[in-house]
Amino acid sequence: MSSALAVRGLVKRFGNHVAVDDVSFEVPRGVVYGILGPNGAGKSTTLRMINDIFAPDAGEIIVLDGLAPGHAAAQRIGYLPEERGLYPKMKVADMIEFIGELRGLSRGEARRRTATWLDRLGLAQWAGNKVQDLSKGMQQKVQFATALIHEPELVILDEPWSGLDPINAEVLRDEVEAIRRSGRTVLFSTHQMEQAEKLVDQICIIARGKKLLDGPLADIQRRAAGDGIIALGLGSDAASRAAADAVLGDRALVAERRAPRARAHADGADCEVKLASGASAQQLLAALVAAGVGLQRFEVVVPTLHQIFVDRVGTSAAVAERRPDAPSGAVA
Amino acid sequence: MSPGLRNALVIARREFLERARSRWFLAITLLGPIGIVAMILVPSLLTPNPAGTRVEIIDRTGVLAQPLVTGLTTVRWKPAVLAPSTPDADEMARIRDRKINGFLIVPADALDGGTIIYRGDNGSNQTVTTTLHEIVRVVVQAERGKRAGIAGDKLTEIIRPAAFEAQQTNGKAEATAGVASFLVGYALAYILFLVITVYAVAVMRSVVQEKTSRVMELMVATIKPRSLMTGKIVGVGGAGLVQVSVWLVMAALVITYRDQVLGAFGVSGAAVTLPSLTFDVIGIALGFFVLGYFFYASMYAAVGAMVSSEQDTQQVQMPVTLLLLVGLVSVTAVSGDPRGVTATVMTLIPFWSPLLMPMRYVLGGATPVDIVISLAILLVSTVLIARAAAKIYRIGVLMYGKRPGVQELLRWLRY
Repeated sequence: MSSALAVRGLVKRFGNHVAVDDVSFEVPRGVVYGILGPNGAGKSTTLRMINDIFAPDAGEIIVLDGLAPGHAAAQRIGYLPEERGLYPKMKVADMIEFIGELRGLSRGEARRRTATWLDRLGLAQWAGNKVQDLSKGMQQKVQFATALIHEPELVILDEPWSGLDPINAEVLRDEVEAIRRSGRTVLFSTHQMEQAEKLVDQICIIARGKKLLDGPLADIQRRAAGDGIIALGLGSDAASRAAADAVLGDRALVAERRAPRARAHADGADCEVKLASGASAQQLLAALVAAGVGLQRFEVVVPTLHQIFVDRVGTSAAVAERRPDAPSGAVA
Repeated sequence: MSPGLRNALVIARREFLERARSRWFLAITLLGPIGIVAMILVPSLLTPNPAGTRVEIIDRTGVLAQPLVTGLTTVRWKPAVLAPSTPDADEMARIRDRKINGFLIVPADALDGGTIIYRGDNGSNQTVTTTLHEIVRVVVQAERGKRAGIAGDKLTEIIRPAAFEAQQTNGKAEATAGVASFLVGYALAYILFLVITVYAVAVMRSVVQEKTSRVMELMVATIKPRSLMTGKIVGVGGAGLVQVSVWLVMAALVITYRDQVLGAFGVSGAAVTLPSLTFDVIGIALGFFVLGYFFYASMYAAVGAMVSSEQDTQQVQMPVTLLLLVGLVSVTAVSGDPRGVTATVMTLIPFWSPLLMPMRYVLGGATPVDIVISLAILLVSTVLIARAAAKIYRIGVLMYGKRPGVQELLRWLRY
């Protein structure tokens, strides 16, 4: 079975600004895939190209069974744009139905599914109200329904958590889980790592238009763990601590010793070390045991997505650059 | 059905219903003609009725006062005769004190060419001056006849007004009353201008609103911008077409059954001459409306795509609006000589033919062949304009902020 989406060598320029610079990644079917990056990294531009809003300057996009972006693909894609917006004077039910019809449903089918979605999102009593009469949060839900009404095989959500309160953020996560359970694919962009970490199977981190890394989150974390951060609980016995100090002072084994991160500390670690290059966790453990250290904790630290992101992107790149929202002279 | 066409129809349906469902649409469609008639009638109803005008006569001929009083009484004015020596200043004071509306000074040589002068607070009122002029003319002519020794009945015969009527014709069509056909042609030109402007501008506003409400990104991700523009123009235009058709049919019915309609208001139909609003005229008017609307709506859609807020539209739509206005200003030039060079040229140019051609046809200035040529030119131009507009639209719809310059627009058109 082909992948849900394959992007190869994608380039998009706005004037002199290169918004997306040779980005490639592949989204297998049935996964939740996160495109992560700081503001202005090129996430939205990439998603817009996949949705045929912009044409790429170079590169290739293949959607579901070899389709190019365009009408046929649009029938099988659901899209929550970063620019949220609905027809303010349209009735809520009409709005959802209208998009369903444009995404290829018959009018009757669109109407039936709209009713289901309104129930599901708790909007049934607002069906006959105008969109503009709804609160921002409820409008977000309506927007979400317009992305899912036609049961798309690939759901693309651009910054889905922006502007959501914690309760609605939870609702959104549940819906994403539900889509995954049904075997369909979700591709979303975000810079909120905590939200992403709870959901993603695979990620692609981009910054300044360039891809930094991609792949299954578990692999990436395992690889990052190979960087050799180990959290230690050394106990309070003085002799044991002195023995430990001697081992940890060995430059052949330990490159750096520092205070544990908050989470590790809460789990009973009282220091954290970075292994010297060439040293392995096994060697350190053997040395500590041989020295008679009363170890209470020895943990190879798996970095959080947030840590990986900050390590890779760097704090400087996290500063938002000029946003290419106004592509003057842009040509779609 | 191609997917692009299907989507355009879904868009058109939404745009049409959004308008047709509003109460304003129903009200304006049904009450619009009444409003237009009212606009014509109310001013004439508001014009002061000259009956009851208080006028005093200072007659220095000694023979004209009495016939003048008789004449003025007949039209239900309230005349009074003063001594010939009454000074003007006294009468001016009476006008200031609102005792009288005005006074008539008949000089001693009035029968020999001396000017009879009326001064009054209604001296600029056309009805008042026409009435006075007519009565003065008849009275003076009658008195001159008497002086020349002509018998009374002969005199009446001599000064009886001649019957006269102007008719508009091109030598082929049945002649219709000149003023009446002019009015129909004029009304057509104005209504077409009004409706094309209103609905083409509605397309522009609708595009701008999609940008300001940010629904545009969802829309262009869902369908092709060209389908979106086409659907919008068709949907908005459909509402306009319904409106214009209702109006034209209403007008045709009123004109066809004018005797009954006028009878209902207690007026004899024979007294009023109206030209016929035949179905060929209705068909031609609708044809030019549809094409003219598409022509201008495409331009306005492009304008809407170029700006990011309602305020910005003011400047950018100026060139398009000016084009339409040139057509409106040319109405008199075309109606003045429907077969002349100006009329022929203006009704061939697609910017103005939609407004002017139906009028020219009503006035008998255009043959069916002229109509076909003009429609063909308009059709081809509309296709070209719509294509260019679609290009501008496709790129412009997602732009916010900076407005494109002329050079940039030309660059867009090449893609």
